[in-house]
Amino acid sequence: MLTIQVIAEVWDKHLMTIRTIEHLQMFSIALTLSIIIGVSVGVLIYMRPKTADTVLNFLNIVETIPDLALIVLLLPVLKLGAGPTIAACVLYSILPIARNTYTGLKGVDAQYTYVASAIGLSSREALFRVRIPLSLPLIAGGIRIALVFCMGVVTLGGLVAAGGLGTVLQNGVQLYQKDAILVAGLWTGLLAVLLDGFAGIIEKKLQERYGTW
Amino acid sequence: MQNRRLFDRIESIKFKGITKKYGPVYAVKDLDLEVRGGELLILIGPSGSGKTTALRMMNRMIDQDTGSVTINGLDTRDVDPVRLRRNMGYVIQNIGLFPHMTIGENIGLVPKLEGWDKKKIHQRVSNLLDFVSLPPDIFMKRYPRQLSGGQQQRVGLARAMATDPPLFLMDEPFGALDPILRKQLQKEFLKIKNEINRTIIFVTHDIEEALVLGDRIAIMDQGQLVQVGPPEELIFNPASELVSDIVDNQRKYKHMDTLKVKDLMSAYEDKYALDGKTEVCDAVEEMTKRDLETAFVFDGHELLGQVTMVDLMKCRVKAQKLADLARPMKTFQPLDSVAFALSEMKKSGEYIAIVMDPNKPAGILVSDEVLLKLI
Amino acid sequence: MVGLEIILEATWEHIILVYTTLSISIAISIPLAFASLYSRKLEFVVMKFANLVQAVPSFAVVAIMVPLLGIGFTPAVVAIMLRALLPIVKNTFIGLKNVDPSIIDYAQGMGMSQWQINTYIRLPNAYPAMFAGIKFAGILANSIAVLTAFIGSGGLGEIIFQGLIGYNTSTLLAGAIPAILLAIMIDRSFSALEKKVTPGYRKI
Repeated sequence: MLTIQVIAEVWDKHLMTIRTIEHLQMFSIALTLSIIIGVSVGVLIYMRPKTADTVLNFLNIVETIPDLALIVLLLPVLKLGAGPTIAACVLYSILPIARNTYTGLKGVDAQYTYVASAIGLSSREALFRVRIPLSLPLIAGGIRIALVFCMGVVTLGGLVAAGGLGTVLQNGVQLYQKDAILVAGLWTGLLAVLLDGFAGIIEKKLQERYGTW
Repeated sequence: MQNRRLFDRIESIKFKGITKKYGPVYAVKDLDLEVRGGELLILIGPSGSGKTTALRMMNRMIDQDTGSVTINGLDTRDVDPVRLRRNMGYVIQNIGLFPHMTIGENIGLVPKLEGWDKKKIHQRVSNLLDFVSLPPDIFMKRYPRQLSGGQQQRVGLARAMATDPPLFLMDEPFGALDPILRKQLQKEFLKIKNEINRTIIFVTHDIEEALVLGDRIAIMDQGQLVQVGPPEELIFNPASELVSDIVDNQRKYKHMDTLKVKDLMSAYEDKYALDGKTEVCDAVEEMTKRDLETAFVFDGHELLGQVTMVDLMKCRVKAQKLADLARPMKTFQPLDSVAFALSEMKKSGEYIAIVMDPNKPAGILVSDEVLLKLI
Repeated sequence: MVGLEIILEATWEHIILVYTTLSISIAISIPLAFASLYSRKLEFVVMKFANLVQAVPSFAVVAIMVPLLGIGFTPAVVAIMLRALLPIVKNTFIGLKNVDPSIIDYAQGMGMSQWQINTYIRLPNAYPAMFAGIKFAGILANSIAVLTAFIGSGGLGEIIFQGLIGYNTSTLLAGAIPAILLAIMIDRSFSALEKKVTPGYRKI
């Protein structure tokens, strides 16, 4: 059984405070990069609609690649450590964010873009002041999907010496330490569910604030 | 660069030989028209007549195929469209307030893009909201969806006035409002128009609106200009069948003396009535919901008077009851003569009165509407 | 270098693992989706659970199998199923539920039994969403099957883990590339299937 004492022991022995920090560090770097790149890609394919299908199809293929295989593919290029893991997170996360950004920008009610242009907003001003804000609920939905992807891939990082909570899981399985697996597994799951829930709340708030009615 | 005004005052706007085709269809054909500085010119015509197309060529939302639009001698095609549009106020029927911005942000958007400082924007927005009878401390921070249709349209007007442009383009701004609200906003708009003294081009399909508001009226049909002139000229010297049709179909009543109030009153609806015991706050909410600018206050069946949204907004004691605020109003009987009713209303400066038969409301008498039915 | 024979054998193991799991998942999902149609409580539990489990990292799910079920093929199947089941249930349920109520009324009026309505009206209507869910589950299963080699399921992941021990690039690629090809194959074949079952051949 998992008693408080067992949990505390596992926690100390496996340096889980440090592992959690590493985990969240990798996660936040990956998610931040994903948001920057994903939104940019979404905006770019919106501005060059002819490229949209090609780019999205390519990202769709990336999406099917098994996550561990993708990290392994990046290993020769980026070496052991956090690099391949973060890069894999980003590669996975571009699609949901870019796709939702693109769909959001395209779906903005025509009356608002018409008015924006008619009262003298340049296309750049209309993009940043009207289209992007009105797309925020959808963009947030994409980010939430990316967040789940990133949590999953970051956990795999333990297998390729990237650190994080995956390391504890790896050691636990290799050394057959049931308690360590349970504690680390439940903790990793809980973190992911909490962050997802938190993102869900933000998404809902944005929906209320910026959604169409 | 965009800060500099293209023009401080409009001397004249000239359409010369303007043609616009969509496929084989002419939207506008060989249009020559001059708008004089300071006037309110109405563009009117059936749908598909090209009136809206002509309006949208002025701010280059549509570019003509041939011909030129010049403002004070400046060809619009020589100006960056964004800069051109910043020199004009634009109001449209569906208003298009941005739902993610507060009323204050909506009105202050263009000034902000023009680089005004925060304090100046705030000041300007407050003044404008006051100007359109929406108290700034209540409305500044609200979102468009919290406003009634009439209130939104006022905000639309304030937004167009934000940078104090010399020219306004208005595309059926009151088209989506119910008749009584439309009358009230037209009335307020006339007042505003006289105060700001700007050049306004106003598209409508409603001849009554055109006759009330227009200094001159341009009638368009199938992409071409049929006649342009002041209202009385169109009435007395129509250039064609079409013009007399448009203007004349209002001439149903020739003999005012024989007319009774019941012949010319508008229908009464229950939504206009509020109970005297209602508190001001609730009344504001209720009127917003029902999209009313004016409501009649009753105590049971007894008429106490009228309240307007503007009165309620100005009231500082929120717990006050409508019974205390209601202003007395004219009441008439269905069989009173219209001439008598109109002169009574004119004397007291009222433009709206209620018709009682004998103790319950039977209709509403709106002076403008009555006049128009008499033309 | 890894021999071709080893790669082929691992690929075969991988395919068995993926399709066994997928078949069991489908066999459980569809009755579960139908049952959710008749019980609001079950619907609530299934949907909540589906959204929750989707957020949990696969590696955590796979690792937790060890203390619960040990290592080998069966724990791997259970781990994959936990992730693959829910997209199918969820999509099928949504497909079954989103039938125009007037069509159901009409069918009842024609004298169709509950069973007939389900097989002839609800199920075909749910096909596009259901197959989209199965495709997603297949890709997910293929992906997690690489990982389950870590708890002794065999398959292509085993070659990858061997490569990781000595950090041998060609061994790593010998495991990764067939896994990627399998993924693309699953995506393509199920996309084709999805199109086939969608009325008018249009992708949803």
